[in-house]
Order: sequence, then structure tokens, then C-alpha cells
Amino acid sequence: MPATDTAVRPPAPAPPAARPPRRRHRRLRLVLRYTLLSIGAVVVLFPLYMAVVNSLLAPSQIAHQPPPFFPLHPQWGSYRKAWTEGDLAVYLRNSAIQTTIIVAGQLVTSVLAAYAFAFLEFPFKRTLFVVFLMTLMIPFEVTIATNLSTVSSLGWFNTFPGLTVPFLATGFGTFLLRQAFLQIPRDLREAAQLDGYGHFRFLWSVAVPLARPALAALGVFSFLSAWNQYLWPLLVTGNDNSVRTVQIGLKQLINTQLDQINVSLAGTVIAVVPLLILLVVFQKQLVRSLTSGAVK
Amino acid sequence: MSALRSRRHREWGLAYLLLAPALLIFAVFTFYPFLRNFKLALYQNPPYPGLPSHYVGLHQVGSVLASTSFHQSLVSTLLYVVMVVPVGLIGGLLLAVAAHKAIRGMAWFRLVFSSTVVTSVAVAAVVFGTLMDPVVGLLPWLGVNPHPAILENPTWALPAVSLIAVWQFLGLSFVIMTAGLQSLPDEVLEAARLDGAGGWTMFWRVTVPLLSPTLFFGLVVGTIYAFQSFGQIDILIGPQNSQFTHTDVLLYSVYQALSIQDNPGVAAVLSIVLFAILLVFTLAQLRFLERRVTYAGD
Amino acid sequence: MVLSRHRTLLPVAALGAAALLLAACSSSSSSSSTTSGGASTTSATTCSPAALSGRTSPVTINFWESMPRANGQTLQALTDTFNHSQTKVHVNLVVQTSYDDTWQKYQAGLTNGELPDVVQLQDTDTQGAVDTQSILPVQNCIDGFHYSTGDLLPRALAYWNLDKAQQAMPFAVSGPVLYYNKAAFQKAGLDPAKPPATLADLVTAAKALKAAGQGGLGLKIDPWYFETELATANQVLVNNANGRSARATRAVFANPTGTQVFTYLDQLVRSGSAGTNSANGADEFDNLLGVGSGKYSMAIDTSAALGTVQQLLSQYPNVQLGVAPLPTVEATPTGGVQPAGSALWISKKSSAAAQAASWEYIAFLDSTASQTTWAAGTGYIPLRTSAAQSSTIQTLWSTNPGYKVAYTQLTSGIESDATAGAVLGPFDDVRTAVINAEDSMFVNGVAPATAVAQAQTASNALITSYNQRIGS
Repeated sequence: MPATDTAVRPPAPAPPAARPPRRRHRRLRLVLRYTLLSIGAVVVLFPLYMAVVNSLLAPSQIAHQPPPFFPLHPQWGSYRKAWTEGDLAVYLRNSAIQTTIIVAGQLVTSVLAAYAFAFLEFPFKRTLFVVFLMTLMIPFEVTIATNLSTVSSLGWFNTFPGLTVPFLATGFGTFLLRQAFLQIPRDLREAAQLDGYGHFRFLWSVAVPLARPALAALGVFSFLSAWNQYLWPLLVTGNDNSVRTVQIGLKQLINTQLDQINVSLAGTVIAVVPLLILLVVFQKQLVRSLTSGAVK
Repeated sequence: MSALRSRRHREWGLAYLLLAPALLIFAVFTFYPFLRNFKLALYQNPPYPGLPSHYVGLHQVGSVLASTSFHQSLVSTLLYVVMVVPVGLIGGLLLAVAAHKAIRGMAWFRLVFSSTVVTSVAVAAVVFGTLMDPVVGLLPWLGVNPHPAILENPTWALPAVSLIAVWQFLGLSFVIMTAGLQSLPDEVLEAARLDGAGGWTMFWRVTVPLLSPTLFFGLVVGTIYAFQSFGQIDILIGPQNSQFTHTDVLLYSVYQALSIQDNPGVAAVLSIVLFAILLVFTLAQLRFLERRVTYAGD
Repeated sequence: MVLSRHRTLLPVAALGAAALLLAACSSSSSSSSTTSGGASTTSATTCSPAALSGRTSPVTINFWESMPRANGQTLQALTDTFNHSQTKVHVNLVVQTSYDDTWQKYQAGLTNGELPDVVQLQDTDTQGAVDTQSILPVQNCIDGFHYSTGDLLPRALAYWNLDKAQQAMPFAVSGPVLYYNKAAFQKAGLDPAKPPATLADLVTAAKALKAAGQGGLGLKIDPWYFETELATANQVLVNNANGRSARATRAVFANPTGTQVFTYLDQLVRSGSAGTNSANGADEFDNLLGVGSGKYSMAIDTSAALGTVQQLLSQYPNVQLGVAPLPTVEATPTGGVQPAGSALWISKKSSAAAQAASWEYIAFLDSTASQTTWAAGTGYIPLRTSAAQSSTIQTLWSTNPGYKVAYTQLTSGIESDATAGAVLGPFDDVRTAVINAEDSMFVNGVAPATAVAQAQTASNALITSYNQRIGS
């Protein structure tokens, strides 16, 4: 069905008597919309809000019924306690190291592989592409049994290599970047070739800069996935704090600070606030990476 | 001629070199483990490390599939997925529709609605665990006093952990739905509006069908997400109580078999089942729903 | 993306099929040898003084212990005495935080090689330790050193003796006792000198105390009490002589005695005269704390906690602590209370010198002097009759009779398979099944007979799958 050309449509006759009610109607709808939006915002923010509130209460106050919804005398000591006694500083550091390694690894391997798929011709290209595609079909959970024993036998249990190496490549990232590379116009490539650009120079000086939005999107997505990992760090980290990440640290915190809920919650707030800040800064990239398959 | 061929060969070499790091990782940590599951499933493992495992063929597969704990795990998982995915998608859709207007402050609302994307399962678990605590939480104030406490309750524990997953999924769902709404062809929407379609009719007859590719994508992503979540169950309920509270979803059973019971054979069987279910789900969604999905060009 | 999926998927599918075929066809079965009862019989390894002779420097051994702080200090003091008293052996104490942690670390050590020479493992891990095939039964050392066990409490030895071979030496042994508030008894018109001796009496007393506003019983849902009740009635928990003559193959506790115990527990909770708390988790000590706060006037718990409980409850002016034996299910018990606690195990992987050194240390810890110090300092049961008769212990018992209760329990009644305690591989899982059954009874109103039968059925499934995994 061809799209209707709105320009040639005759304007719908507006009955003069309908004007005032329509404006009131519109304002009403606006108010309704803002109300719905506010309700939605409260629903979404409420749990985090209560976490912050409870983190600032003394333990005796938290058990108070009805529950307090605002800390009249905020006790900031819980944050200090979570940071020092809860070892949160160590956990955050470990998470930062683990996430950086994974993000860097995924970016590098995806860029290299995407370049090969986008710009090079070679035998078995199609087969290898399907191989990358198949990695999307195999969820990580299905590989943990063997990965655990592989990592153990490599001596990587409770080490950063053990935490990160299985995740250094991603089929999703390769596709995302391949897509971006394919957008680069042919003429640009041919011009570069004529100028004597070898592949590495082309990659570094032309392809990567032009694919920056996709790289940023992949970076944000990788960062989030790596930072929020739960299953693998749970399996691979031991009982000491040498590589324990903040997610497992939170679990430890809630188990050991049974009578100090404010400390557990302070730890949780510390763990999530950096990400919220990153969300504000990188919202666009995040949306792009999450919806790269949604819009057909 | 030979110069051209050697240049082409060099290009091949370069290509393989560029693909090698990713392929190596995939070979060792994706394909090999996946295939090895089929072997692991055939070997029974002793309860303690350091002792040899013995070959039992399909016997272990049979006994796992026939066990009541596996059946309960399946039921729990399916109930969990059914509770999480539709509610999460609809919630995200409603928020996206509400936020789909260029009015003042909308950027802030959009930020808030997508914020749960950055929360990890541990954060969500601790936050909601406090709210659901029978002593310090909000439930007594709301008059909700189940006995035993909600997270130890065989009837209510699963809905409780589902709620946590829904909240976490809302952000992602919102982002997906918003992107979908923004990609809707304005001409079609405008045409429908001018044709006299108001509010609800507009929504059901026009918007939703046009959104069906997005809904479909959300369904796939949501289902996979639901199958992969167990963190909040581990933190709030724990392996000891997960069976009693009917929260032993499939992935959690895999984790327990592997890490707590030291039973990679059983873990492998359960992993294969999980994979098969996900595969069937995704293929079924691809097959049946894609037929129903209408594209703007229709 | 146009893909000729079939063409490229084919080689991968072929690979998968090949892998499957290969795996299915390979029949590399390995036999795991287990003797009857799963117990390691005495092997040819010699654990004897000869292994320690002719050495110029002391043998250093590592001991993984799981004692909480106060008891840990007593243990450190004993160890220091041992280290300073001779030059052949030097012991390093490695503190693990709990019995569970020690067991987890030990199992991890089986793969990563970090194992101790001596390790303190809890009672329920006995069959498990044997099944790891990594321990040296101490019988070897008893024989090699010509060690006399006559003075040691027979029941304590019996718990860790499988197939006539002593697997480990008992060390920190305790029993369940009834803590009660004498002041509350008086206020309710009950005789504080006559605490309930049977479960029936316990139900009556709890109801009376609750009605008088003094609070009833703090009931911790711990299957250990259930097992002890069975032992006092001379009932075994599992078949094959409680798992001692051969590996247990099924649970047998859903008998009239088991049902009776469940019925009494049910009556306690349903009548509102008992409050429950869990055995691990945040509310683990609620039963004892409740006695202090007045919520309860009685609580059942381990005698090992006596020191802590006395200290805790002395802060409450309304509480006058009394300690009584565990109320039994029968009016006249036909069995006896079984041992509980932990024992000392020697690793098979250590050198002969380290094993002999470990034995020297263990023998020291179980000596009269050490057991006197240990029991007086911790509240654990003195494991030697000579230690019990020492003036230190006798003085302690006369000034603080509560400390004698567990000892009396362990030394009265008969010696049988039931009173020696059960030996079982998946003990923790079976306990979880019992907890679930009790929960279903208290919460969902399941009838006691049904609940205990359900626990038994669940336990049988667990035992069967465990035995299958062991390969017997």
C-alpha cells in the first residue's frame, strides 16, 4: 500500500464550535500524561529511593513501623563502614579491573574481526561468519560446566584471567562493528587505497574514527554486561578478596552484616551510583546498543 | 598474475590473523564447552573431587529427566518466565507510550524509566530484599503478613523474585519500546489520526500492530533474560531453601549441580535442556510470531 | 543477510554428531573401589614412632581447626604448650571460620593440593571424609604407637569407628541439653528442681509456662534433636546398623518413635507454647535470646554453648539459668544420647613423618591433662574418665552443675548402633529434608506421620543418588 501523500489531502473542515473544548481537552490530557509519568517515575525510583533512605537510618530506626520514608537525622557513617569494613573499595577496584579488561578485549577482538568481515575477501568467509553467528545461539550458561574446569586446570581460579578471558570476544560486537564498517562509502576506501593506505593504517585512521558511535555503543554495552555479571564471578572467585567483584561483594555484605542493614544498603548505593552517573552521560550510546536489533 | 595472487594470499593471511583472537576464544570457551556437555552428561561424578568419574551412558540423562526435582525446576522456570516477560514488556510499553511526546521534562522522565538497565541483579536483590523483609520492610505496613515470610514462602517466593526481575527488566523494556515507537513511520500514524482514529482505537489498531517487530524483539530478549536470571534467588533465598520455596529455576539448578553438589554431569544434562528450551522458544517465536508481525510496508 | 544456512551449518552439525558419537561410544569406565561401609580399613601405612626417630629438626604440621574465638584461644594455649614441651613436632594452627568452611576448603584442597596434615571435621562429615579416600584412619596410629583407648569414653570413640577401625579421634564433643529459667518456673508454679524429663512433660510444662505468662519453649528447627531423640529410644536413623556395618542404603526413621517425636513437636508449636527459629541464618540464636528477653522460659541447644549462654543470661536479672538433660521421647529411655561435635582426622597425603607427628599432637589433645583443660575452658565433654575425675573438673561440676549434664548423658544408657550415632554420606541433605518436613508440619499443617514419612522418602532418594555417585 503506497504511503498516503498528506500534502494533497484536503484539510479536514474544523467545526468552529469544537475549538474551546479541544483546547481544554488537550490540557486535560497533558495533566493526565504528567500524572501517569509521575506515577511511573515513582514506581521505578521507589526501591532505590528507599534504599538510600534506609542507608541513612540507624539500624534501630529501620525496624520502626510504620517505616520512615525520609531520614530526619541522616547517619552517614554507614557509607564509611561499607567502604572500609565492607571492603567495598576493594570490590570496586576488582570490578573496575575486570570490566576494563573485558571491555578492552571485546573492543579489540570485535574491531579486528569486523574489519576482516567488512573489508577483506577470503575463503570460508561465509562459514566463519556463520560460526560467529552461532556464538549468539549458545548462551553462556550452557558453557559454564566445562569453562569452570578449563579455568581451574589453567590455574586461573580466583584470578583476573579466570574472570575475564572467557569473555574477551563477542559475536554481537563483531556484528555491530561490521555493520558500522559497511556504512563507510566505497569511494572513501578506494581513495585510501589509491593513496597507498595499507589495511592497518586504513583501520586506524579511517575506519575506527568513522565507526566511533558504534564503538561507543559497544563499549557501553560491554561495560554494563561485564560490571553486572553475577554467575561467572560467583563460580570463579574464591573466599578471599583478591578478585571478588562488587556484585559478589554485595552478596557477602548482606550475609555478614545481618544486623546492619543500613551498611548493606549503603554498599548497594555505592555500587550503583557510578553506573547511574554513566547512564546520564552515555544514555544515547546505551540506547543505540540495546536497540540495535529492535528496529527492522 | 603471481603478484596479484600473492597479494590476495596476503589478504587471506591477514583476514585469518584478524579473526584468530576471537575464534580462539570462541573455540575454547564457547564451542568446546558446548559440545563437551554431551560427553559430560554421560559420566557420573563422585560427590567429592579427586575421585574418578564413571561412564553410565544415557542412564544419568534419564534419571535427571525423570526426577521430581527437575520437573519442579521446569515448572518454576516456566512460571517465572510467564510472570516476568509479559508484565515487563507491557510495563515498558506503557511507560514508553506515556513518554512518547516532546513535552517539557521528558528527557528526565526517559532517564528515570531507563535507569533500571544499569542496576545489577545484586543491587536489585539487596534493595528489594530489604523492602520485603518481614521485620524492617514495607510489607507489614501494607498489611501483608504472610506466614512464613514472603521469601521463605512456598507460594509467594516465586512471585516475589519475579517482581524483582520485572523491575530490573523495565528499563530495558522501556528502551526497546521507545526505540520502536520512535521508528514508527509518521505518515501512517498521521494518516490514521486524520482518518478519525482516536486514543484507544489508534493504539490497538494502528500503533501496536506497527510495533509488532519491536514487541517481538522485546519478547525474545525478555525470554532470554528471564531464563538467565537467578542472582536474586541466590542472594535472597539461597541454595538450601530454593527447592522448598519452588524457586529452583533451571539455571539455578545448573549452578547448584555444578558448584554446590560438584556434579558436572548433572549440570551438563540440565544445561543441554536449558539450551534446548531456549532454542525452541526462540525458533518458535521466530516462526509463529514473525508471521503475525506486520511491517509498515503492508 | 542472505545465508545459505544449510550448506554452512552442515559441517558444524557433522562435528556435533561426531562429538556425540565419540562420547557415547567411549566406554572408559573407571572402577572406584569401596569397601563395605565405605570405611577404609587399616592399610599398610605405618604410623609409628619409628617415622619420627632420627630427625634433627622438628616436623612442622598444619592443623585446620574450626573453633569460634573463645574456644580457639583455649586451643591455641594447648597447642603452645605442646609445641614448647617437646622438639619433635611443631604445630601450625590454621583457623577456619566454621565447620562448613573447613569442609569446603578441604574438598577444594583435594583438587588444588592445599591440604592440612590434621583437620577438625564435624560429625556429619564422617562418611564424606571416608569417601574422599584421602584420610588415614587413625587406627593405623593406634596400632603403630600401641595406644591404649581404655580410658576414653567408649561412645565418643564409637561414633568415629567404622568397621572396627577407628577413623578419627573425637575432640570437641557435646550434646543437646535443655536450658531453662528457674525463676520463670517458680513464677508459674512449677518446681525448678524438676525440669521436664520427657517430651510429654515438656509439652505440659511449655503450655503451663505459656499460660502463666512466662513464655514457653524456644524451639530451634534442628534435625540434630530429632536424631538424638531416636537414639535415646535406641532407634537407628538409617539401615545397616546406622550405616556402620555397611554403607547405609535407606533411611528408617519413619517408625512409631519418629512419628511420636514429630507429634510432640507439632503439639508444641500448634498449641502456641513454642516459637520456632532456624538452625542457621539470622535467627539462629533466637531461642536462647528469647530466654533472656522473657519470650521463652526454656530452650534446647548444644551443651557447647553453655559458657556463652551463662554469660549472656547473667545480664538478665529475671533469669536464673538451669541446665537439664534433653527430655526424651520415652518415659524410661532404652537407648542413650549419641555424641556430636567434631573429631581430628589425619591426611593420607602427608608424609609418614607428618602423619606420625599428627598422631603425637592428637594424642596430646586427647590426653588427660589436655582434656581437663579443654573441658574446663570450653564446656565440651571431657573425653577421658580420668579427666572427668580430675579435681579441676570435679570442682567445676560441683560449683556449676550445668557443665556435668552433657557428660552424664553421654555416659548413661547403653552402647549400641543407635547410641553410637548415624553415619551417612548425604547427611546435610537428609537434614534439609527433615527441616522441610518439620516446616511443612508447622506451616502447612501436614500431619506428623505424613511429614516424617515424606522426610524419609526424600532422604531415601538422596541416599540412593549419593550412593550411585560413589559407585557402590
